[in-house]
Amino acid sequence: MKELNTNPDLNNFWYPPGGILVWMLIFLELATFGMGIIALIYCSKEDPALFHTSRLSLNKTFGAINTALLLTSGYFMASTINELRRNNRAKASFYLQLTMLGGLLFMVLKGVEYSQKLNAGISINTNLFYTFYWMLTAFHGVHVAVGLVMLAVSWLRLRKKDAVIDMEHMEAGAAFWHMCDLIWLLLFPALYLVL
Amino acid sequence: MKNKNSITWIVLMLLTIITAFLIGPRYAAILILLISAMKFLLVAFQFMELKKAHSFWKVSMIIVVTFVSAAILVIL
Repeated sequence: MKELNTNPDLNNFWYPPGGILVWMLIFLELATFGMGIIALIYCSKEDPALFHTSRLSLNKTFGAINTALLLTSGYFMASTINELRRNNRAKASFYLQLTMLGGLLFMVLKGVEYSQKLNAGISINTNLFYTFYWMLTAFHGVHVAVGLVMLAVSWLRLRKKDAVIDMEHMEAGAAFWHMCDLIWLLLFPALYLVL
Repeated sequence: MKNKNSITWIVLMLLTIITAFLIGPRYAAILILLISAMKFLLVAFQFMELKKAHSFWKVSMIIVVTFVSAAILVIL
């Protein structure tokens, strides 16, 4: 395998891990979700009882398991990058599959949670809390789905023995995947725990 | 590096378990948000390798998580 490490000096302002473009995207996404979460908390002051009752109907166990799944997936993503740097393609491919498995399980559990809510007649129009719940979690889910596609493309490339692996592209994909963790780490307490 | 990532993962799991059991009044919300901010920074600095990046990116990330957590606490 030919491996191009085009990012040797991570301490350079212009070359954070994964490249400056993905980090600009990460900060943009964090600002967007951050504002959404602050709006959720602000609106909860209008009708604290409604928000508290609605929050209690969410399955905290599902939320905690999903947190564990994303964090574990993030750990395997970091391991994938480490193995690629060591030029250990087989191990990197294995860890990347575990990373994707974590993401897929997250999506499955989120699907179960959504179906339970829909079966109970809870939709985006039920009340303001659920408007925030559906919008914020679905928007995050879209990011996880996009991340999974990016990881799948990387994995397919990794499987080809003669493929040239660009480490900056791999690190950019990893940074995007970790961003999904970061967003969830803000969403989980705001939606499931503190209201 | 791999060992540090493993230790970070164990700490993250423990913090997630602790958070799941924290229920109660305002002090619990403060603890939950503090733990979440710690988890956020652990992922950013260790898994995303922000610890190796330029200070601008490190400080920016700390500002983002501090601002969101503080805003939630002030409004709550």
